[in-house]
Amino acid sequence: MTKNTKVELMAPAGSYESLAAAIKAGADSVYFGIEQLNMRARSTNNFTIDDLSKIHEICISNNVKTYLTLNTILYDHDISLMKKIIVAVKESKIDAVIASDYAVFNQAKNEGVKIHISTQANVSNIDSVEFFAQFSDVVVLARELTLKQVESIVKEIKRRKIKGVSGGLMRVEIFAHGALCMAVSGKCYLSLHSNYASANRGACVQNCRKSYVVTDKEDGVEFEIDNEYIMSAKDLCTIDFLDKVIQTGVNVLKIEGRGRSADYVYTTIQCYREAVDSIADGTYSQEKVIGWKERLSTVFNRGFWDGYYLGKSMGEWNDEYGSKATKKKIYIAKGLKYYEDAKVGEFKMESHSITLGDEVMVIGPTTGVIQTFVDELRINNNQTDSVKKGDVFTLPLLQKLRPSDKLYKLVDAQ
Amino acid sequence: MIRITHQREKCIGCNLCVEVARNRWRMSRKDGKSTLVGGEDNKGFYTVLVGDDEWKENKYAADNCPVKIIKLEKV
Repeated sequence: MTKNTKVELMAPAGSYESLAAAIKAGADSVYFGIEQLNMRARSTNNFTIDDLSKIHEICISNNVKTYLTLNTILYDHDISLMKKIIVAVKESKIDAVIASDYAVFNQAKNEGVKIHISTQANVSNIDSVEFFAQFSDVVVLARELTLKQVESIVKEIKRRKIKGVSGGLMRVEIFAHGALCMAVSGKCYLSLHSNYASANRGACVQNCRKSYVVTDKEDGVEFEIDNEYIMSAKDLCTIDFLDKVIQTGVNVLKIEGRGRSADYVYTTIQCYREAVDSIADGTYSQEKVIGWKERLSTVFNRGFWDGYYLGKSMGEWNDEYGSKATKKKIYIAKGLKYYEDAKVGEFKMESHSITLGDEVMVIGPTTGVIQTFVDELRINNNQTDSVKKGDVFTLPLLQKLRPSDKLYKLVDAQ
Repeated sequence: MIRITHQREKCIGCNLCVEVARNRWRMSRKDGKSTLVGGEDNKGFYTVLVGDDEWKENKYAADNCPVKIIKLEKV
């Protein structure tokens, strides 16, 4: 795969598995959170400060840039941890910090750490870009702008020659794919009101993703509202007009999903990598778009829409709970050993069964994601058609399997 | 008596417990996490025995902690 030098494709990395998947799928850069000061603080798999060096090491050897999210609201009691994180970022040579709080800008400037202005700052006009240029090099625009507004900001940066702290023109980043908020990016109090779980401290309980009824107080009659999840926005997908997105002159395309699994990251980044490259070499076509959309539909999604970029509809709402992914994965076996010469992986079946022709996926912290069809199965070196729980078996794998890897079977979701 | 247990490592520093039971919880300026006043560390789980009069406010803190890491037991 060729990496596009003009547009940077940035992937979410909520775990080592997702990180490896992002790199393998062709991401130019990754963003991730550590400790509790990031917008996915509630996720169970956050990295810690001790992971920074290892993440940098993995990424630098793959020519992938690293950005740390430090973008929650900060209180006085967070300042000391924030400062510690900024120092750790500097020492571990992480490329930049994505922030929205002025205390972080100040500390990063003092330490010589680069800043990207988070979408949590909701930058929606050129004068705000000009203001934030004194602290940063990249600004992530609010997700509620139209492409026309994005284009105008990009043009105006060039016309006004707005430079960031590193001396180059300010770079513009926008979200290309993933979940959207019903409120202006994160500026939502629903979760705090219902569960004391502040979305702006990364603890959102996602009230907007549920269905609600309206009750007539007089007689207690309940109405379901249009049978829709009226607050649950569909997921942003720009792959069918990515050429127009790139024409605006944006520098970075961000894929949302630090809370998503490695196979989500792998599939999504792979599709957008192909799309970005095909736009660069002039082979972007509707046929390809259909293929990418089909692949994107196989992983977690709430249905797709074009967000606010094309400026038409005011919001498209999901009509069911959870994901509309067409495929789901079932855990079946753990990895044991890889036989380099024979190019086969050995597994122990822990649940369910597989038969020849099944689609399977290996996921692991170093391996990332390997997706393949089962074209041969062996138990004790004897060929077999199927494998059941408890069996130790091998299947051909072109890439290395590690003991930390897990094997999943892909099945239709419905 | 009441036993309060706090799985401190998972705290996200939202300040809720400090707001509702301010005599039993303090926000650490060192690492931005909440600290159980008088708590003793047992492999990351901090525990303290307190009088029954502290039930109401600490029960409120436990029920509403966004990451559910506070546990109350009558002993």
